[in-house]
Amino acid sequence: MSNSVLELLGVRMAFGQRQLLDVDRIAFRSDSCLALTGANGSGKTTLLKIAAGLMKPNDTTVSFDGKDFPWPQAAPKLRKRVVYLHQFPYMFDASVFDNVAYGLRRKGLPTPELRARVRQCLEWSGLMGLSHQNARSLSGGERQRLALARARALKPRLLLLDEPTSNMDEEGREQTVFLIRRMVADGLTVALATHERQLVAQVAQVHWHLRNKHLEELPVAPRDEHHAFERDNSRTTA
Amino acid sequence: MNEILSASGRAFELLVSGDAELWIIIGTSFSVSLRAIIIAVPLALPLALLLTLGHFPGRRALVSIFNSLMAVPAVVVGLTVYLLLSRSGPFGDLKQLFTQTAMVVGQVVLALPLLVAMIHAALQAADRRAWETALTLGASRGRAMLTLMHEVRFGLIAAVIAGFGRIIAEVGVSLMVGGNILHHTRNIPTAIALETSKGDFAQGIALGAVLLFLALLLNFFLNFFQGRGELA
Repeated sequence: MSNSVLELLGVRMAFGQRQLLDVDRIAFRSDSCLALTGANGSGKTTLLKIAAGLMKPNDTTVSFDGKDFPWPQAAPKLRKRVVYLHQFPYMFDASVFDNVAYGLRRKGLPTPELRARVRQCLEWSGLMGLSHQNARSLSGGERQRLALARARALKPRLLLLDEPTSNMDEEGREQTVFLIRRMVADGLTVALATHERQLVAQVAQVHWHLRNKHLEELPVAPRDEHHAFERDNSRTTA
Repeated sequence: MNEILSASGRAFELLVSGDAELWIIIGTSFSVSLRAIIIAVPLALPLALLLTLGHFPGRRALVSIFNSLMAVPAVVVGLTVYLLLSRSGPFGDLKQLFTQTAMVVGQVVLALPLLVAMIHAALQAADRRAWETALTLGASRGRAMLTLMHEVRFGLIAAVIAGFGRIIAEVGVSLMVGGNILHHTRNIPTAIALETSKGDFAQGIALGAVLLFLALLLNFFLNFFQGRGELA
């Protein structure tokens, strides 16, 4: 598909005897937000980590820029193009500023440009006043915003968010949703794994659901079309 | 009791008067053990990283072997190095037995398993997300390893201090492969053993005080870098 930033073909993943993923094709459409839902343990995180080049699948072909790559060649390219955020983002034991600067330093950005980019991302996330504070002293919501700013600074082709609003109070949740929507509006392609039906409705243009190792696309808007997603979730939370 | 107090008094005098023989022994100890730890740490780091991040058959067995080797007595290491360096041994032609080089080699062998096991334990306890976050933010695998090491730096410092503590206080290797030669291979532990056997407790106590002071200094250093030493 020409307007996909990334496609994974034939994703197979097993842990021991247990086959977790058997996905024929998954395409991340550019300039949009894609929601990935599924029951606990259905393989959402695994699929995102494979797409980020962080977890090696048993089998897959990765396609981007009109070319197909086998996994060994694809993995380092994915890590250059895709940024993955954990459910609870890891903060390096350094200042807020240095956390945002980490990836930019790896890119070898000149210092003035690096400082300007970091400042711009901190202002964007509302964390400018905390730039000298140790990142580990931030609250959960602030950490999530910092992680988003750290990812945004790199201008990735694809941003993968794993349960970005879990365990957050209402204010933190609203701020995170606001930032995700802004990133999509600014032209960043985002895919997120979530349990929250409300979040899917708020930010997603495409909705995928993982069930029994396979991926199915669900329509986004009308409420009753989420029945499969809800049924799976109610089973896990019961 | 009086004898201990009198020996302690003479030990203090030896230390503050700058007794040449005493300070040569102290110098030998530090020179040998510092060289050994400087060689052992760069050898241990990649091994520990390999055990932490590598996926290869026998990895767990290798971890167990290094953990077991931590408990090998210094005299056994000394005997092994002695046999390797003795005239009839495979490295006899190098003529390094009873030299400081032999002591360094022995202490490297002694420190290596401890360093590998402790560094591996520190790296293993690191949060996997640190490694993945570094990679996803564009770090190469080498750079991600450096980041991981920075995140567990207190554990790494503790490993190096424990390794140094083990070799500077050991007597088995130094005695067997160094030969306890005055002004040449006599270090603090071998000198304490010798002077005690001769009944000259003053020098033994003075040297023991140096080791004790060193232990305190290393621990203060570690605590300083570790911060408050309590839960965050």
